[in-house]
Amino acid sequence: MVFVIVLSVFLIASIATMVNSIDLTIRTIYAYTRHFTYAIPQRVSLRVPDDQVAVIREDPRVDRVMEGSIFFTNIKTVMGRFPFVVLGVSDENRAYLMERIGTSLVEGRMPAEGMPEAVLSQPIVENKKIKIGDVIAGPTDEGGISGSPIPVRCVGILKGPVWIAFTSKSFADATFITTPKTTIFTTKNPADLFAVNDDLMPTGRKGEGKLTPSKVNLLSYQNLVEELRDSLSSMYLIMTVVNLTVIFVISLMSGMLSNIYFTQRIAEFAVLAAIGYQRSKLFGRIFAETMLLTALGWVLGAVVTLVFLSYFKTAVFQPRGLFIDPADPFGYKFTLPIPFAITAFAVGTIAFRLARLDPVTIIERR
Amino acid sequence: MSSTSNQQPHLQTAPPTSSEELGCRGASLQYTDGARVTYALRDITVRLPPGRFYGIMGPSGSGKSSLLYVLSGLKRPTAGTAYFGDVSYTEKSDAQVTDLRRRRFGFVFQQPFLLPYLTALENIVVAAPKQDREARERALARLEALGMAGLENKLPSQLSGGEKQRVSVVRAMMNDPDVIFADEPTAALDHANGHRVVDALAEWRGRGTVVVVTHDPEMLEDADEILLLRDGSLAEVRSQRPLRRDAAATPGEDSVFGGKGAVTASPRR
Repeated sequence: MVFVIVLSVFLIASIATMVNSIDLTIRTIYAYTRHFTYAIPQRVSLRVPDDQVAVIREDPRVDRVMEGSIFFTNIKTVMGRFPFVVLGVSDENRAYLMERIGTSLVEGRMPAEGMPEAVLSQPIVENKKIKIGDVIAGPTDEGGISGSPIPVRCVGILKGPVWIAFTSKSFADATFITTPKTTIFTTKNPADLFAVNDDLMPTGRKGEGKLTPSKVNLLSYQNLVEELRDSLSSMYLIMTVVNLTVIFVISLMSGMLSNIYFTQRIAEFAVLAAIGYQRSKLFGRIFAETMLLTALGWVLGAVVTLVFLSYFKTAVFQPRGLFIDPADPFGYKFTLPIPFAITAFAVGTIAFRLARLDPVTIIERR
Repeated sequence: MSSTSNQQPHLQTAPPTSSEELGCRGASLQYTDGARVTYALRDITVRLPPGRFYGIMGPSGSGKSSLLYVLSGLKRPTAGTAYFGDVSYTEKSDAQVTDLRRRRFGFVFQQPFLLPYLTALENIVVAAPKQDREARERALARLEALGMAGLENKLPSQLSGGEKQRVSVVRAMMNDPDVIFADEPTAALDHANGHRVVDALAEWRGRGTVVVVTHDPEMLEDADEILLLRDGSLAEVRSQRPLRRDAAATPGEDSVFGGKGAVTASPRR
């Protein structure tokens, strides 16, 4: 029975953790939005209108507002190729943002003004399996939604807790002339960023904020997470149904195993009942044994999952710059009903038989 | 020194029971299989004064084990009553009778029924209401007294059949029971081991009552009284060591049979 529980915990926790790695991937890739927020013009404009920028500036909590030009480089994710923003801002703003997000140059140099060059965070370099001097975006890019009409090369590698990529603003302005410019803002106190996002979020876009929805949208972290979770909700629902079905089937199996187990030990229970053990005490003993077994099975299953996913992370995910958290509580949370369901089924089955146990019949039969 | 009786006692005038007397009154045990009714016991009345060694004998299917189960509260009679002292099993709940078995009775079965994952000592201690250090020491002393010193840490699989059964005897004695019930305790043993087990049980006489069911008359040579059953009825009572009038176990009580026997019974012809 322990083995069955180990397998079921392993199966469910692994699947749930892997599915949740999509969420983790997106949150990691867009983690920079925890430090600053993009305001994106609606399609009618190539830059955020001045009146909207003024609204942002009016908020006393806002620290710096800057314009950025962007293009994309493709990265690999568990869902396939995904566009990652390469941000073009002035040298001063770039230095400010790098300090804000705790990132520094560890290899190579920063992009030269007007040149098709970029610096990338270490994980992006690993994800793309490139080195300094390699092309990160160009006319021959495969997949993805963008690229660059001319090859852009990696000239430096950044190290820090956040995935980020920079180019020079002059290069981006000159090359990606039809790509809308973004307005980026930070707050004096980084902890205020989410509150400012909420206050500014255009009405009708999950907010009642001050910005005009027909003119601008905000790419805020909390909005991003909400949209992500919304789009993944169907997948989570399917996963939940599958997991519950698996748990139900396993619980039924465990009930049957418990029945066999009880039959094997029926003489033991019969003799204990005969010598004066109350049925309630026998039931308590079985309940404790079953709880212990299922708890042991769950712990072993969790350990096996952790070991497997750690290996999987090292051998498969990390070399590809993909994300998975072997200790993601989400996956293990899905397995929590297993010990309870199995205990309920097993103990229920045994309690039914125990209630009908006639010690004499068992003892005489032997 | 033996006397035989088959008189019919008058229940209403029977003297009151002593606090540790075991018995049944008009006890029947019947099984129904559709329209067919089978009697394992028919209207049996026995009174077993305490502190003596009783044997129950009879051919297969005569109801020996059924009588033991009824007397021990393991089976409820379908008619009549069974009792220990002033406790009538039929007036008590299953849990209360179970509690009585735990506190006052000890059991030895045909098979030792030792728990395979416990050592000999742990198998004995399992019968104790409080499985503490004192219980372990008591169990150890009992094992040594039965010549099984050194076996306390052996698992049942490491013990011989005779040793296992003697462990089960010690388990039965663990709580200093008032009554030890033994159902064919020697059936699965060779002659020598059978005698060892019965000797150990017989030694308990005086500290408590011993009731042994067996096919083998040789095993009951040392019994005080033997109840012979036939077709679910009490056919005969043999008093091998009649209870003396001044015996402390049942003061003031005479046997209905021959005036000396301890068993008060209602044999049927």
